[in-house]
Amino acid sequence: MNHVTRDYDKDGAGALVNITILNGEKKGRSFATFMKDFEHGLARAGHGVTVFTIPDMRISYCTGCWDCWIKTPGVCALRDDTEKIYPVINRSELLIFASPLVMGFVNAETRKINERLIPLLLPYVDWYKGECHHFLRYGHSPKLGLIIQPEPDTDDEDIAIVEESYGRTALNFKSMLVFTALTTRPVTEALDAVNGL
Amino acid sequence: MQLTVFNGSPRGKKGNTKTLMDKFLDGFRKIAGNDAEVHYLNNREKRKQAARIFANSEAVIVAFPLYSDSTPGLVKEFIESLAPFKGRKGNPKLGFVVQSGFPEGIHTACVERYLEKLARRLRCPYIGTIRKGGVEGIQRKTEKANRPLYRDFETLGESFGRTGSFDPAIVERFKKPERLPRAIFPLFYIMMKFGIMDMGWNRLLKANDAFAKRLDRPFA
Repeated sequence: MNHVTRDYDKDGAGALVNITILNGEKKGRSFATFMKDFEHGLARAGHGVTVFTIPDMRISYCTGCWDCWIKTPGVCALRDDTEKIYPVINRSELLIFASPLVMGFVNAETRKINERLIPLLLPYVDWYKGECHHFLRYGHSPKLGLIIQPEPDTDDEDIAIVEESYGRTALNFKSMLVFTALTTRPVTEALDAVNGL
Repeated sequence: MQLTVFNGSPRGKKGNTKTLMDKFLDGFRKIAGNDAEVHYLNNREKRKQAARIFANSEAVIVAFPLYSDSTPGLVKEFIESLAPFKGRKGNPKLGFVVQSGFPEGIHTACVERYLEKLARRLRCPYIGTIRKGGVEGIQRKTEKANRPLYRDFETLGESFGRTGSFDPAIVERFKKPERLPRAIFPLFYIMMKFGIMDMGWNRLLKANDAFAKRLDRPFA
């Protein structure tokens, strides 16, 4: 078990926040161990943490039907377990995607929950940071964090690609990617990244 | 050339990806001796067979719509199923077609880097990536308005059928504009301010009797 080494109340750095973790992997012992230590560390620091393990939930791929934009605004036609996730994200200040890299990118389960976040956006198009992006349905988004487990052949280029892609996801939600943590590094680094926000 | 197309659109045969790839294949088949088969990855059973089909192919094109600035989940599932063939000698040539709703190329730039790296990781000869913005909405445009786009895809297919590579001039043109020019921002702003940007969406919302609920926050 790792220990949170800073006293955040005293030095005023960082703040306690509500955190949603979308975990795309349930197999793999080292990944699970890292995530458990990470979650415990966050809770011990006083953050409110909700973890969703996507492979354990009844969630389907987006079918691209757009009902959530033009038929039942904000409600996905698939009516599955994503409905448990949306309100929790909407009450969070930080949303963390956690996944092992598979074939150089976050896994399919993580992509699945990523694409199912579309009901959090409106269809209407805004000009944001010089690009077309959608307006936010709820008017706010949590900051984003990324935890990834490298593969044996992962190199710096792979990590840069994943990080850039989640920087784009952050743009889509008018948010920012505030940290990328690797599970091969000490869990305290990931905890410090959150606690330093 | 024998070409295998994997269509990664979650909308499958009803999607814009199929519309564009049909034009591409029209051009491709103009060359004598060329033949192509198309597999739809939104079919779960087909996804299970896809890796084996991939391994037995001479040339593969994976075509999909951009989802959240990357691959749809079901395309990623397909990519993961290719892991056993990573680095295998004799892997097929591999190319990609990515189409997005927003008009600017910037949205598809990052996934292209991933796809190019993926081809290297698999050790597939990389054909290239065609990425085209502004595709969503073609189903509501007239045949005449879509004709230049369709002709480009047919030309791309024909030249690919002849040379085995994507026509670099069209590929480059399709990526543009990388970003919308700042000069059009005032126009964009006026269109936004007066709801002109939203008209298409509002028409669809009204047709579904959902206009009053358009800004609903059901999961606040």
